[in-house]
Amino acid sequence: MKYTPKEIPEEVNVTKVHPLVNFGYLLGTVIVATLAVYFGVGLAANWLATRISPETEAHIGHYLAPSIQRQFGKPIADDDRLQYLGELLVSLREDTTGIPLTVHLIESNVINAAALAGGHIFVTTGLLKAARSENELAFVLAHELGHVAARDSLKGLARAIPWAFLVTAVNISNGDLLSQSKIVTLTGKLNELHYSRKQESAADLYGLSAAMRRYGHGGHSLDFFKRLVEKHGERDKSQVYEYFSSHPLDHNRIEALQRVAREKGWSLEGDATSLPPGLHCPNFKCANP
Amino acid sequence: MGDLINALIFLGLLALGYFAGTYFEKQHYKSIKQRERQTRHVPLVTFGAKQAIPEAREVEMFAGSVVISSDYFKTFTLGLRNLVGGRVVVYESLLDRGRREALLRMKEKAIAWGATQVLNVRLESSTVSGSQGRGPISIEVIAYGTGIR
Repeated sequence: MKYTPKEIPEEVNVTKVHPLVNFGYLLGTVIVATLAVYFGVGLAANWLATRISPETEAHIGHYLAPSIQRQFGKPIADDDRLQYLGELLVSLREDTTGIPLTVHLIESNVINAAALAGGHIFVTTGLLKAARSENELAFVLAHELGHVAARDSLKGLARAIPWAFLVTAVNISNGDLLSQSKIVTLTGKLNELHYSRKQESAADLYGLSAAMRRYGHGGHSLDFFKRLVEKHGERDKSQVYEYFSSHPLDHNRIEALQRVAREKGWSLEGDATSLPPGLHCPNFKCANP
Repeated sequence: MGDLINALIFLGLLALGYFAGTYFEKQHYKSIKQRERQTRHVPLVTFGAKQAIPEAREVEMFAGSVVISSDYFKTFTLGLRNLVGGRVVVYESLLDRGRREALLRMKEKAIAWGATQVLNVRLESSTVSGSQGRGPISIEVIAYGTGIR
């Protein structure tokens, strides 16, 4: 048999699909699946968080508090100011979840306040130094109480744990080949921001409502936020406004509160209640008055 | 800010991978098709164990090998594919190019020697990857056969 060369037929070994179409389809699938899992986990977490008893939450907080405390700075164990803060918190409390409150005062120049599952509230000495009236301090504390009442920290934990498993699983299956796993992580992260904003405004409302009940007006309550917004604009480097990064804060949030106050007929004018003297010094006793 | 820079670098690499990868692939296919036409007069023939091999004055073994690298875009797409499973369409062209280029290199050597046929050609492939399987993957394809004249 004689060999006669022929034209090689068109490729059958390469699928005729545009690489970008293929890529878009894949990316879409992964993002949609991630979102579905994310919202599924979120709903399950919220459902679960409302079913955890206050005792169990207190246990969880008890185990987590020491490690969180270390992240903030050096705790002050024995100080009269703890009692003052505790009393202020109790007087501001509006919810009846029955979660016991524990105040932790942290020696740090960073201005920050945070709430952890189990009613642990962290306050830095930096925040006490920066406060100019009790009204604004009370609002910040009541805001954290709002997080405790809504069990935001618990919800966050319940959501973060399965999420961490998922991201780890994707990392392992991919051998961290490139950054496909980042698509999964990032999709989750973007939603996390939205989630916490919603919780922030709910906590804000709780804070203002608590201030209204204690002082009869919302005057000076938002001063601290207003000052932070201004200082942030000036990029004040003298103090680290950590509070800002954990509590996304802008004019919109203040405006939203003012709008609610108008609707409910809350007055945002009123005299400031002064802070107890020496609040920025240990046991209210300043060495150089 | 750091996240933004990382995202930009990532998108930049993805775009570079896509555009450069597509360009080089097109060029490569052009060259492959042209050289396949030039070398098609020499057949690659396979014989079974009980078939008589054609008479020849001289025989020699020829091998052609090639290493082709994936690009960032292809590797990323492979990673996404790894999550959901299915046919890795972007890698099909990579292996296709590897096989054809290896065959061509073998054939070109055989033709230069004066081969009239190349018998019992075999193809083998392997992956050449970065440390611990991270980073873009390269594939090696080797083709070998017996040239006769």
